[in-house]
Amino acid sequence: MYVPLWCKSNFSFLEGASHPEELVEACAHLGIETLALTDHDGVYGVVEAHVKARESGVGLIIGSEVTLDDDSTLILLAKSREGHANLCRLITFGRRRSEKGESRVRWDEVCAHAAGLIVLWGGDRSLLVSEADPVFVAHDLKDAFGDRLYALATRHRRAEEPKREARLRRRAERYGIPVAAGTEVLYHKPARREVQDVLTCIRHGVTLSGAGRRIKPNAEHALKPPHAFTALFHDDPAAVARTLEIAGRCSFSLAALRYRYPSEKLPDGTTSSGWLRKLTFDGARERYGGPASPEMIRQLEKELDLIDELDYGGYFLTMWEIVRFCRERGILCQGRGSAANSAVCYCLGITAVDPVRMGLLFERFLSRERAEPPDIDLDIEHERREEVIQHVYEKYGRSHAAMVCNFIRYRSRSAIREVGKVLGVAETALDRLSKLMSHHGGLAPETLMHAGLDPEQEVHGHLLRLAGEILDFPRHLSIHPGGFLLGHEPVSDLVPIENASMPDRTVIQWDKDCLEELGLFKVDLLGLGALHQLHLGFDLIEEHHGESWSMATIPGKDGSTFDMICKADTVGVFQIESRAQMAMLPRLKPRTYYDLVVEVSIVRPGPITGGMVHPYLRRRSGDEPVVYPHPSLEPVLKKTLGVPLFQEQVIRLAMVAADYTPGEADQLRRDMAAWRRSGRIERHHQRLVDRMTSKGIATEFAERVFEQIRGFGEYGFPESHAASFALIAWATAWMKCHYPEAFACSLLNAQPMGFYSAATIIDDAKRHGVEIRPVDVTRSHWNCTLETGDARTAKTGDSHPGKTGDRYPFLTTAAGKRVTHSKKGTCPQFSGPQFLRRRFPIRMGLRYVKGLSKRSWERIETARGERSFSAVEDFVERTRLDEGSLTRLAEAGALSALDGDRRSAMWRVASTSSAQGAASSSARKRGRRLPMTTRERLPLFAALDDSETINWDYRTTRHSPRGHPLAPLRPQLEKRRLPDATRVAAMKDGERVRYAGLVICRQRPGTASGVVFMTLEDETGFVNVVVWSRVFEKHAVLIKTTSFLGVTGKLQVQDGVTHLIADTFWIPRVGARPESGGSHDFH
Amino acid sequence: MDRMACIDLPAFPLQLLLRRHGEWRDRPVAVVDSDRPQGKILWVNERARGYRILPGMRYAAGLSLAGDLHAAEMPAAEIDRAISSLGRRLRCFTPHVEPARDDPGVFWLDASGLERLYGSLPNWAGLIRSELRRSGLECNTTVGFSRFGTYALSKSKRGVLVLDRPADERAASRRVFLDRLALEPGVRETLGKLGIRTVGDFMDLPSEGIEKRFGSEIHRLHRLASGVLRLPLQPEAPVPPALQRLGLDHPVTNVARLMVVIERLLGPLLRTLADRNHVLSKLHVGFRFERLGDHIEGLRPAAPTLDAAQLLELVRLRLDALRKLPDGVVEVVVYAESMAATREQIGLFARRPRRDTAAANQALARVRAELGNDAVVRARLREAHLPEASFRWEAVEGVAVPRPREADQPTLVRRIYARPVPLPSRARHEPDGWMPRSLEQGPVVRVLGPYVVSGGWWRKPVHREYHFAETQKGELLWLYYDRPRRRWYLQGRVE
Repeated sequence: MYVPLWCKSNFSFLEGASHPEELVEACAHLGIETLALTDHDGVYGVVEAHVKARESGVGLIIGSEVTLDDDSTLILLAKSREGHANLCRLITFGRRRSEKGESRVRWDEVCAHAAGLIVLWGGDRSLLVSEADPVFVAHDLKDAFGDRLYALATRHRRAEEPKREARLRRRAERYGIPVAAGTEVLYHKPARREVQDVLTCIRHGVTLSGAGRRIKPNAEHALKPPHAFTALFHDDPAAVARTLEIAGRCSFSLAALRYRYPSEKLPDGTTSSGWLRKLTFDGARERYGGPASPEMIRQLEKELDLIDELDYGGYFLTMWEIVRFCRERGILCQGRGSAANSAVCYCLGITAVDPVRMGLLFERFLSRERAEPPDIDLDIEHERREEVIQHVYEKYGRSHAAMVCNFIRYRSRSAIREVGKVLGVAETALDRLSKLMSHHGGLAPETLMHAGLDPEQEVHGHLLRLAGEILDFPRHLSIHPGGFLLGHEPVSDLVPIENASMPDRTVIQWDKDCLEELGLFKVDLLGLGALHQLHLGFDLIEEHHGESWSMATIPGKDGSTFDMICKADTVGVFQIESRAQMAMLPRLKPRTYYDLVVEVSIVRPGPITGGMVHPYLRRRSGDEPVVYPHPSLEPVLKKTLGVPLFQEQVIRLAMVAADYTPGEADQLRRDMAAWRRSGRIERHHQRLVDRMTSKGIATEFAERVFEQIRGFGEYGFPESHAASFALIAWATAWMKCHYPEAFACSLLNAQPMGFYSAATIIDDAKRHGVEIRPVDVTRSHWNCTLETGDARTAKTGDSHPGKTGDRYPFLTTAAGKRVTHSKKGTCPQFSGPQFLRRRFPIRMGLRYVKGLSKRSWERIETARGERSFSAVEDFVERTRLDEGSLTRLAEAGALSALDGDRRSAMWRVASTSSAQGAASSSARKRGRRLPMTTRERLPLFAALDDSETINWDYRTTRHSPRGHPLAPLRPQLEKRRLPDATRVAAMKDGERVRYAGLVICRQRPGTASGVVFMTLEDETGFVNVVVWSRVFEKHAVLIKTTSFLGVTGKLQVQDGVTHLIADTFWIPRVGARPESGGSHDFH
Repeated sequence: MDRMACIDLPAFPLQLLLRRHGEWRDRPVAVVDSDRPQGKILWVNERARGYRILPGMRYAAGLSLAGDLHAAEMPAAEIDRAISSLGRRLRCFTPHVEPARDDPGVFWLDASGLERLYGSLPNWAGLIRSELRRSGLECNTTVGFSRFGTYALSKSKRGVLVLDRPADERAASRRVFLDRLALEPGVRETLGKLGIRTVGDFMDLPSEGIEKRFGSEIHRLHRLASGVLRLPLQPEAPVPPALQRLGLDHPVTNVARLMVVIERLLGPLLRTLADRNHVLSKLHVGFRFERLGDHIEGLRPAAPTLDAAQLLELVRLRLDALRKLPDGVVEVVVYAESMAATREQIGLFARRPRRDTAAANQALARVRAELGNDAVVRARLREAHLPEASFRWEAVEGVAVPRPREADQPTLVRRIYARPVPLPSRARHEPDGWMPRSLEQGPVVRVLGPYVVSGGWWRKPVHREYHFAETQKGELLWLYYDRPRRRWYLQGRVE
């Protein structure tokens, strides 16, 4: 018997060729009682190994192969908790001082952190086998580690090893170091050698045939069965026995990790529990403008008791502190996810939805049975998220706060590309092959054939097999979008911290799954563009209308906003702007906030693949009676008319209808979340269906519920999450309805975000009566602005924004209280049913001039601040922009105020800038002032026509304030009897239509069996086109490559929603080729 | 007035590619700058255009539009060779031919006075077109009066165009669209944005403004187009190869006589090279035998040279190695590969090191001359695990002063056999011990190993278990058991 003490998993990136679980499983299978996981310079894989080891009863020693600053290595094993902390600290030192992906520790650091660690000194890169005798290092190590220092004799049946081993043994004897036996384990079974070779080649960027000695000479790096290991060291049984001795000395397990959440600064004499209680009830009073309802108080007491019992108070206080920081800095933020189920979170201002009124399930967030730390995700306006992240670092210190990592793993495409390169397959073939594959699908021989590769060829067989084997292997580290680990003790005592590729970011070596497994708290700070847009919008409204609005003060019931939503007039509205959502809105006809919650959730793969959408719509419209598959399910499904739409409902359904215990239900929730990786959801299939049918529920319903569970695994919304998002959706819709210019301007300034291009947003704004003014160097700023000069008055909506005044009942009753963002702290007062408001035109910002840098804008701003520009030459002279920027500005028409003709302006800037460039270089040489430019004859250029003007706008700014590219072509289109979008929308069901428009969206959802959805746009609106897969295959080239497209097909009008079912596609022959603002294409 | 013609072979590199791959003609084809997904498409055929594949796209983008897009690179050297070859062919039709420097596939020809020889200029141009067609190339030809006019029109008109008056040429060339000319894409785009679409528009721009904005090249084009600059034809003079030939009245079988003949030829050959300021890098000596046909010997001196004595010595060594000529030689040809002479080659200022590597190289050249060009090789170490793959023999071009590493202790040397020697299979029971070779060496008394080398699974799997075996007589054998073949081999010896 022996213990493998030097094992590297695939978390030794691009070196180890087995998952940690596989190594542990192999140990269990071979009868090896303990295994040491020693990935190089990290403990990335220990949690996975720990979980598997716990399951299979194999002992796990935590260690690492650390790299020294002289490039040699040492293997360190954690003997105790102190040893683990020292190991993590050492790796942190090494990682923090090195480039990303590297680590170098110093010998003195190793010796200084010797406590609780065992050292194995051996292996190819060890100083103990090098030619020079490491006499000083040996004495230092011996002094520091004493009897915890071992020499590691390794054997891999290589001819050069006996000489090295003899050297190692001579030195070990000289320094009095006992020798242990070992092999460098890189994979759990010999068959993985091929994967290891491939990974090595990827690491070195070479092909297998050119790898030479970079790959190992044989397959002797597999985990050896005890008898084989004993035979390998038959001449030194004592060294084999020493592996057991070492393992016996290592008693540390991850289960022994004790984690304390950092405690917040508390007022004197207050416990964190008491402080949380006070803050919560203070918050409740603010929320409700007085004492909370008895129901709310009961809920708060219940939650606070549980939080107290589980000692989670510190975590809530941290979140409260972050939210307070955001408020103080005027940063919009809002909790999302399961936190919205908590009344405490609501009262602390972390979330914005009243869970008591909404009837949300607190247990989905926190429960005694689950004993899992709560998970609060905080959405922060994305432009200012970094401020919050740096605040957290500053408040807790780099040692006590670090971001959670994210392991980038091989997916089918990356696996094909990298394995194929290593095998020497032509890159063009790999490119074609990877394009034919889905992101998560496997590679099948048919795919190879489709890509023109012969699956029978040996190399393609290798490709098929090896690309499959490295799927899900971690490749490198990246940062989790916003997860933080905070600790009362330094985080580097728990897990090493390393530098991320982003400046000023540090990450730990565990991902969110590891934290969840170990029960550690994660603080999630996520960026959300919509919040940033709202912030910008509220600022614009306040600045130009003098009205102070916030998320908390906007009215909860507003007929005109709901009318707008029902008409699917939702371009730019958070969450309900996509083509699919727009198609759903006229059918669902939302009239309440809860309808919006449903709307946000229903257009998701979960309800769609589960076949829940149409039953819900029929029941809602009264075409189908609301029935429940079993009387016991009525309380679960009542809110959604007997149809499960939310994740919570599915869980409760499993508990009620299939008698799932809380433990089983929790397992179901985890499996739903992880099904893509593990496929574990299938094990619930029979159990669920059988139990439901035995209760008298129809098999068909049971199967549908299971399909939906599977779909939810893919992507489904919990109700609380949908409620949070619906709130933002409502706020953006309200702003669009009542302040369309502020809405459009803020949306343009928050780009990139959302579903549509700037051109579509601008055209939509114009259709809503907003005047858009072009970029102009004498007026524009970097961002788009609302101009005040000649604002006009216009009617917005059929009632003023505050007329129906009641704030949302589930939001807040704190009159006038600015929960999120306020400058004046008051709400506007309105009078009269028809609210007339000044309309401000939008001046496009220079950020929309393609290729113009912000630095260039700053030069323009500085020069303009001094005095106005008098001429093109003056502009060039004073801004000193480069020729490219000047040409782009001239081409975009931004110099029109200085020269009305764009071509002439282009000619002039080219002359001035090149003269300036030449003169400045010669002036630099001579140290003199620039000479004056000489005047030259200005050629007469042909004037741009309307079509050219718009196309130039699109080419340089991806939009045109002057018109839609199809507007000048309309007469020609009409001549060819091609209707515009408005006329198409007015046509009848079944009518045949020929239509031409610009493609703004192509979508091929995985749930649609190959059907492609497209949106075409003209100057009057959109036409939604459905392309069946056979039509798509026939016209794929045109559809994929042409922006101005003609389509012939049949209209389908249903519930006020019009779709054009395409038969054929063609290129409209209208002479000019209109430019496009770009298409957003999705899979 | 002198007549001038311009011949344009549109998308010349693509035409060459299609000539090379005739089977691609019915498929979408592109010439790319590199055969990678990110390679840029430079030229496409009409079928590819039908799939909306356009020059400037990435190869991967083209493939996504047409799965059967065929593409290849067209090396510049190959294009240059084709241009030289075409130039030679065109010189059959006129003595003066000038290939365009920056636009492959464009030639200017002197057409003056040829109507008398060919009946008419259209006839002459038609004959050129037919000749090129016969070799699988398409061209457009314009016969006119000026360099720019004929160029612009041959780029825009298909077939043959013969202009009778300079004014017609000027008027027609004004109407040519600029995108037909080989302008820099950036310049073409900028002019397009300014609404300058035709040569006429271009000519109307102020000359000084052009130079300031677009640089001297475009300014030169502008002057050419507007007739301010008139460049006469600058025909390429053909460079005759450095070659000497002598026919013999009687077949010669005597090597010494042959050496005299070669010496006579070598003198003028080297003078020709010296006149061109070139030195000889390789000498080819060709013999036409009376019955056996032609035979060529190549000789490379230690360094490029014009030293006749050194070269003759190499020729003599090579001929001596032949010992006896197999047949009578009726003609001798000597020709040279040469290169521009450098100061180092002349060697005026070179310091002579203590070890004369030049002398060593001359000695090696003599060895090569006597034993063949592949006679001098050295072992170059390679990064591979299999012993026979861990080095390769490579030809020695020249020697350098050796710098051996100091060895701290004598090491054993493994001698590898050129081919592993198969050994008899090892008996299951070996009463007298294992005797892998012969009785004389006695049985194996000690074995070290196995040391495993396995790999090559992606091509041809290898699994060898190496051992060092010491025989009773003290010989150290280096042998292995080949697992896939299930037998023992002797890889070499240890000394």
